Amino acid sequence: MNEQDFYQEFEVFSRKNPRSGLMHQFSLLAPNEEMAMILAQENFMRREEVMDVWVVPSSSIRHMTDEERQALTQRIDNKNYRTTKAYGYLRKKWQDKEQGMLDEQEIMSWKEVKKHRG
Amino acid sequence: MDKRNEALLDLLYQCADDDLLVSFRGSEWLGLAPHVEADVAFSSITQNTMGHAVYFYRLLQELGEGDVDVLAHERPALKRRNAIYLEKRNGDGQYDEDPYFDWALAVVRGYFYETYKRVKLISLTASSYEPLAICAKRILPEQRYHLAYWKEWMKQLQQSSPIAREKIRTRIEEAWSQSLDLFDFGQYEQTLLNEGYITDPLELKQQWLAELQSTVKDLPSRPLEQLKNGRNGEHTTDLDVALATLSEVYQTDPVAQW
Amino acid sequence: MYHYLEHQKGSNTNEDPILYENFMQRIENGDKIEANDWMPSEYRDTLIKLISMHGISEIMGALPEKEWVPKAPSLERKLAIMAKVQDEMGHGQLLLRVTEDLMKPYGRNRQHLMEDLLSGRLKFHNVFHMPTKTWADAGMVGWLVDGAAIISQTNMLDASYGPYQRALQRICKEEVFHAQHGESIIMALAEGTDAQQKILQDSLNRWWPSLLMFFGPASAETTGSSKQEITIKYNIRKSTNEELRQAFLDKYMPRVFSLGLTVPDETMHYDDVQEKWIYQQPDWNEFKQIIQNKGPRSKERLKVREIAYSNNSWVREALAVAGGDRP
Ligand SMILES: [Fe+2]
Ligand SMILES: [Fe+2]
Repeated sequence: MNEQDFYQEFEVFSRKNPRSGLMHQFSLLAPNEEMAMILAQENFMRREEVMDVWVVPSSSIRHMTDEERQALTQRIDNKNYRTTKAYGYLRKKWQDKEQGMLDEQEIMSWKEVKKHRG
Repeated sequence: MDKRNEALLDLLYQCADDDLLVSFRGSEWLGLAPHVEADVAFSSITQNTMGHAVYFYRLLQELGEGDVDVLAHERPALKRRNAIYLEKRNGDGQYDEDPYFDWALAVVRGYFYETYKRVKLISLTASSYEPLAICAKRILPEQRYHLAYWKEWMKQLQQSSPIAREKIRTRIEEAWSQSLDLFDFGQYEQTLLNEGYITDPLELKQQWLAELQSTVKDLPSRPLEQLKNGRNGEHTTDLDVALATLSEVYQTDPVAQW
Repeated sequence: MYHYLEHQKGSNTNEDPILYENFMQRIENGDKIEANDWMPSEYRDTLIKLISMHGISEIMGALPEKEWVPKAPSLERKLAIMAKVQDEMGHGQLLLRVTEDLMKPYGRNRQHLMEDLLSGRLKFHNVFHMPTKTWADAGMVGWLVDGAAIISQTNMLDASYGPYQRALQRICKEEVFHAQHGESIIMALAEGTDAQQKILQDSLNRWWPSLLMFFGPASAETTGSSKQEITIKYNIRKSTNEELRQAFLDKYMPRVFSLGLTVPDETMHYDDVQEKWIYQQPDWNEFKQIIQNKGPRSKERLKVREIAYSNNSWVREALAVAGGDRP
């Protein structure tokens, strides 16, 4: 007898906490999405935190082809201007002026706003 | 010994032995489930369940009953308090030679037991014995997955092929005639209820039945029956074989460090 | 690890030379090949052979240890070995998935892999044809068989095939737990009673030839032909069988001796001049027999797998049509 239809492919994604990205874990075989869901976590995330799990039929995923990956993902490594890498020299300049650098750590710390009285 | 204390110990043995036997049967299934992915997930449930048994044995250890491994490995069948449906072997054959195990039994027992365990644990969260209430609160969140897993299998197999429906039906019939002692808390039951250690089993049975009715199409209409009463230390030869297996290495030298 | 590639029929290498050249260039650049990328059929077939054998060995490898799962001598040991064997089934799952995607162009799936295993077409690793007679054997498998497996698996962590290499990352992380799990069992026995020490030494004596065989013969001449070169050519693994065996001995021999254990080979020693371990060759003819499913426990293990598979086929057939909550 044929069991072929039992073996549907699902891709499993999970999220660790509300801030983390969705991460592709692996794929599994299951007869349907309900069963895929009940199997996913203990197959791939039994040693880690999980906040959310997605199962997606593999056939529903349009991934890049080999050609696309080679054609569309190649960038020249000259985009430092888009990153902080280009501005490291500022640290010294600010230092000379007895000022701190507005780096990631500093700016992120701004989310804590001092409370005012009254 | 004070009767209240004896009653409490008996209840803890029932909880510990139930989980030990369920996880022992689960451990025999490891590597043999119908589907690799289902096997891996099932094993997590088995490990969790054995972990729960360890919690209960530890409560007994704290009450001076002895080391958890002594309690799990050395007590003769007569002293075991698990319900007898839980000691039932997984099907025909031996786990290491010819495991003609029945997945329908695993599903029915898994679903029936986890449903039972849930209503029992919820009751225990209000137990007057504080350490037991704390233990139940710790176990409950983890146990939800166990119930969800078996419930899904139950739902799906019932909606599937005639062969599967028939296998499930047969195993439900069987469970019906062997699981009454799940709702018996043994010789100290009245003391347990008087002391507020746990809820009246008749009440738990109603809750259990209500959950089953929401998932199982045609439950037998007759009342539950029992072959023997495991809560009183009555057991089948399946338990003797299980105990011999689970303590085989341990018994070669019970005082050695393993 | 020895991958039994000699049982593979010759692959067609009449590939488009430009595609082939590009492909080899990518591999040499350290690019990872993905499941749907163009690949020479020799590469695909080599991967299928290698990974299906690796995957099915994980699944068959669960059995000898599994025999000791319900018997483990304490609740902690029961839990640990259960988690360990669960991982091995999980490794099987990962590797079967990788294989299944590779086999897709041939219209083959997991059912075919299981059928191939049961019919004897798909081989599993020599160590898993051996009996586990005592609890010490469960420890020996966890310590040294997993140790050997770690050596061969980490050797492929940079494999050119992306999905395999990703599966190996997951696997090797779990192997850290396996290594310590094995050490823990062995350590307790080595520091235990006389009887415990004795079952431990007996176990090592029994497992010794199998451990040497684990990595396969040093050269093709030993067993007829070996295609270890193919896996190196395609950047799937880096080292030869003998290099891996030497690495295993480097890592584990000092540990073995430090526990007061001996190996059943008086000639065994490290040669400072040649900078390698000198050991007596195991019986490679016996090895050939073992991997042809004529080992001491081959039939029994296949029987267990066959029963578990066919006795439960009604479940897969039932849900192949059920569709769960599908509307
Ligand atoms: Fe493994
Ligand atoms: Fe391992």
